[in-house]
Amino acid sequence: MTPRWRNRLLAALALAVIVGAIYLPILRRRLQLAAKLQQQTTEQARRELTQAIPVNPGEPRVKAKLFWASGNGDGTLVESIAELPLSSDPVLSSKQVLNTLLAGPVNSDLRTLPPDAVLLAFYLLPNGTAIADFSEALATATPSGIQSEQLAVDSIARTLEANVPKVQRLKILIHGQEVETLAGHLDLMGTFLVNTKAVQVAPAAPAAAAPATKPGLRSGTLTPDKGPGKLAQAERNL
Amino acid sequence: MLDPAHGGTDPGARGTGGMRESEIVLDFAAQVRRALESQGFQVIQTRQGNQNPSFDDRSAIANAQNGAVFVTLHIASTGLPGTARVYVNTDLPAMTDAAAGLIPWDRAQTPFQALSRRLGDLVQALLAQRFKGSPSAAQTAAVRQLRTTAAPAIAVEVSSVVVEDRADLDRMAPGVADAIAAGVAEFRPSYVVPTIAGGTR
Repeated sequence: MTPRWRNRLLAALALAVIVGAIYLPILRRRLQLAAKLQQQTTEQARRELTQAIPVNPGEPRVKAKLFWASGNGDGTLVESIAELPLSSDPVLSSKQVLNTLLAGPVNSDLRTLPPDAVLLAFYLLPNGTAIADFSEALATATPSGIQSEQLAVDSIARTLEANVPKVQRLKILIHGQEVETLAGHLDLMGTFLVNTKAVQVAPAAPAAAAPATKPGLRSGTLTPDKGPGKLAQAERNL
Repeated sequence: MLDPAHGGTDPGARGTGGMRESEIVLDFAAQVRRALESQGFQVIQTRQGNQNPSFDDRSAIANAQNGAVFVTLHIASTGLPGTARVYVNTDLPAMTDAAAGLIPWDRAQTPFQALSRRLGDLVQALLAQRFKGSPSAAQTAAVRQLRTTAAPAIAVEVSSVVVEDRADLDRMAPGVADAIAAGVAEFRPSYVVPTIAGGTR
């Protein structure tokens, strides 16, 4: 090999080293990013896709009422106010308030719904029955228990009742399917009564009116004129 | 009827140190059973070991008995530790389509709702005396197990599996057992099996 060719070879090798030194960190960053993206759960990816709700920015900001846990550990809810540009369309406004509810309060200890849960779809039938389709995380990540499952449903029902008067009943689906229970206890086969003022309620059992909880903040209350302990009252027939 | 909830592949609520609701309620059931038997009641359990009968299978055992009361036992994963709550089923629509003397399976609890409320309030009041911070009256919830049960039926849920030491829960078992047994005994004189459309059970 002549010195001239040797120099050319050395120059080519040096160039390859320089290109490698520049490109390898970029490649490593890309690989790390790809790995990170893979770690994102399907639920999180779905959340990004489903949370973009078209809202007219011209909509006036209104004080939406959201119901999260009181933090007392006694299964009660407290009302929080959030200013949202709520749509005048009941389906869009339902999605807005439910997504805000799912996003959770500032204090994550007061969450009523799992952070990974996503509202996949929301429909409102002409008879006032809302169908809320949540991702599997609602069923798999809600703490198992009557109190915790009731709290989750109550927070959804009360938030809808407070912000979307057209919603009278609530049916919860998990990933498009009707399921027997939320997390092993609470019955999801029927609908939950949301707006008691607008719905003719089946006659209650005579002894069922005994107050179980304080009106207003307790999970067992929906409206002042409704017997406590009946929040998100399940119904069997539409 | 005593129903230790969950079992088999369904552990129920899971807590610190591998605590499983399905195992704890079985131990609670044994103590409740003794307390009820000491009051002269005959007790049937929906499961004796680590099996997981379906909701309907559990209800079927209860529905085959005449004059039974049904108590399903749970340990919560939330709530104030050291408290206990009684739940009765949410009000179900009246049975307008019931054939004479028959109760639709999926609304079997309907004719028993008032009785369940009375039983629940009695047991809850006794639990509140024993466990500070517990509600004074039974609460209402759409508990799946209760809906298909054709008997006065309550769910008793104790808080919770997140206690650091399993002994904290074990210490509650005698009080829970006494409250249930005393509540059922107090309920007994007022228990008249309701008349179903067209006849009695």
